[in-house]
Amino acid sequence: MEIRRKQKIKRVSRKQGRTGTPVKPAPKPQLGSALIPKTRYTSHDYAKREWAHMWTKVWLLGCREDDIPNVGDHIVTEIGAESILLVRQKDKSVKAFYNVCLHRGNRLVHAVETPQEEAAYFRCKYHNWEYGLDGAFTDIPDLETFPQGAPKCGGLINLPCDRWGSFVWFSLDPNVEPLKAFLGVIPEHLNPYHFERMVPTKFITVEWDCNWKASVDAFNESYHVQGIHPQLLYYLDDLDIQIDCYDKHSRYLIAFGVLSPRVIPPGEIPPPIKQVMKDADMDPASYEGSVYNIREAVQQYKRAHGPAQGKNYDALNDDQLTDDYHYMIFPNITMNVHADDMMMFRQRPHPDDPNKMFFDYWMFELPDNEFDWDEYERPTHKQYKHGEISLGLVINQDAYNLPFVQKGMNSSGYEGLWIGNQELRIRHFHDTLENYLSASTAKKTATKKTPAQKMPAQKTTAKKSPAKKTGQKKTLTKKTPTKKRRGKNK
Amino acid sequence: MDLGLRDKNVLITGATQGIGRRTANLFALEGANVAICSRSPESVNKAVKEISALADGQIIGAPCNIKNKEEYEAWIEKMVEELGGVDIFIPNVSAGGGADSEKNWWKNFEVDVLGTVRGAEAVIPYMEEQENGVITMLCSTAAIETFAVLQPFNAMKAALITYAKQLSQEWGHKNIRVNAVSPGPIHFDGGAWDMIKTSSERFYERTEKTHALGRLGTPEEVANCIVFLSSPASGWVTGVNFVVDGGYTKRVQF
Repeated sequence: MEIRRKQKIKRVSRKQGRTGTPVKPAPKPQLGSALIPKTRYTSHDYAKREWAHMWTKVWLLGCREDDIPNVGDHIVTEIGAESILLVRQKDKSVKAFYNVCLHRGNRLVHAVETPQEEAAYFRCKYHNWEYGLDGAFTDIPDLETFPQGAPKCGGLINLPCDRWGSFVWFSLDPNVEPLKAFLGVIPEHLNPYHFERMVPTKFITVEWDCNWKASVDAFNESYHVQGIHPQLLYYLDDLDIQIDCYDKHSRYLIAFGVLSPRVIPPGEIPPPIKQVMKDADMDPASYEGSVYNIREAVQQYKRAHGPAQGKNYDALNDDQLTDDYHYMIFPNITMNVHADDMMMFRQRPHPDDPNKMFFDYWMFELPDNEFDWDEYERPTHKQYKHGEISLGLVINQDAYNLPFVQKGMNSSGYEGLWIGNQELRIRHFHDTLENYLSASTAKKTATKKTPAQKMPAQKTTAKKSPAKKTGQKKTLTKKTPTKKRRGKNK
Repeated sequence: MDLGLRDKNVLITGATQGIGRRTANLFALEGANVAICSRSPESVNKAVKEISALADGQIIGAPCNIKNKEEYEAWIEKMVEELGGVDIFIPNVSAGGGADSEKNWWKNFEVDVLGTVRGAEAVIPYMEEQENGVITMLCSTAAIETFAVLQPFNAMKAALITYAKQLSQEWGHKNIRVNAVSPGPIHFDGGAWDMIKTSSERFYERTEKTHALGRLGTPEEVANCIVFLSSPASGWVTGVNFVVDGGYTKRVQF
């Protein structure tokens, strides 16, 4: 689509106070312009290498802290063929275990992605083998009939587990680097948003017929806005965006509440921009200024009225009050981060088919003074097949298209991704992924480590837990599993 | 056919873009003198310069916020003085659509309705004295058939159609003709339907198909009708609501 106007987005030049999100552009990585082979998206062999050298080496997002606020609360999450049990401990830390009974291999907890409350122990339903919250055996019926005794590991297999940003993270690699080191700049960048103040309003999983990376790619560039989301051209600037690539992770900053240079301003305020104003509690009909100044007007309005609405924007710069600070936490978390809400996607690979994936969709909202806590019900997780549920116009547009991308990638007439500068984050993502795959093969020759039966006891740093709030949230988890939102819609 | 517009003095409100602008262009091409306004001085100056390039007659303009009664009346007085009279008045400015709050009612009332009424009351004394004059109001098919969403624009444009008819009866004896022009959906760059075409192509295409003529109108096609109705060539037409919509509306106008 042609570019019909020149436009330069005004951005803040420094972070908000000492602890604000850094805004300075990062140096552009020189990653060349080579074709990215499509086999990375279609080959079973590549998927196996990803599993062996990447998925089992990184930190992965497991759940929200407030999924399991109280001692004994637990939840099961899945990655590839693995099922992971996350359990709140007596000291308020969280432990992660392979969710498997060591007797005959039964899954210990069968409910998936659904918070379970206050267990005192875990008992396998097959033969009543029982484990404490710390994973250690507490009862093995008829133990004397096992001449070899109990398994020597002493209980469930422990995995590295830590917490950051209101989320619980785990790793399948017992020797993984500390979470803080893995996350790099991410905490410094995202702590100012205080995700722990936001409440979940949606959590669903949809099985998509595409490789997990095809989904990650769809959220890592704005070039497709003019193709697949033309309505957003009256909502954001898809061309003047700031792309920053860090060690493993990346972000881009997209101005919202503005018009794309690809469109001419209509005589009236476009409905999507009106919505930006209404979300801030402004009346578009009373606005007398130019459409070009609405983004700034909304920023100033939110700065002035946020505190009275019960919203604390102290750590956020003015741009953050309107714009999309979009982050990608390697390998599979993409998040549209806004002052008042956060839309988070987790893309998980299918256990054995590179042509399929699981798309986890969370929505979090910052409650204001008018947020109706009595009406609020914590969303219960549901899983769907592709096309069974609407994810909103924008995500529906992506979801509709992705299976066709996957089909096309399997064609003999296609060699690989032809990536331009607007898609730099895709190139950076592949570069990081390839580093994992090649570093692991190099490491294998240097060190030889057999997977330990008993993983080292896990250190968890417990300092940023919003434990004081959990009492309130706990009562919420008991409600019936219908979701109802009284917060602002996006 | 000679429209007889040479040397006529025309006042158009809000003629820097869209239908108003095309109307000003056409009057200029027909040899009339044209005065325009808009809220922004820059866009008035730019439009005056561009229209002048087409014109034999005099093209002038000044910034004016129609919502401000004194400012608006002063603009009319100044333009009439500079042109040396007023033969044709086109109240064109609109607050547009929208149903965000009660404020939309006030805006459409102040800009669309009062912007027409105050303008008419300011020009009629001149027309009364010369016993000759034309007022052509911009209305909309949104007033005559249920359209889009419930919004004040639709109802306020309906008010103007009735006002135009009564005004024509009131001042016919002084040879002042008053008519309304009601365009249907019109497409031009930077217009509301340009936005719809970009953001929801399928809805745009469906709307095209509901037109008997199978497409949306152009601002030039509406301007042609405004200029004809305002010209001596249509001297026997008064009190009508001239629907210019390519067969978009389906009612029968007996």
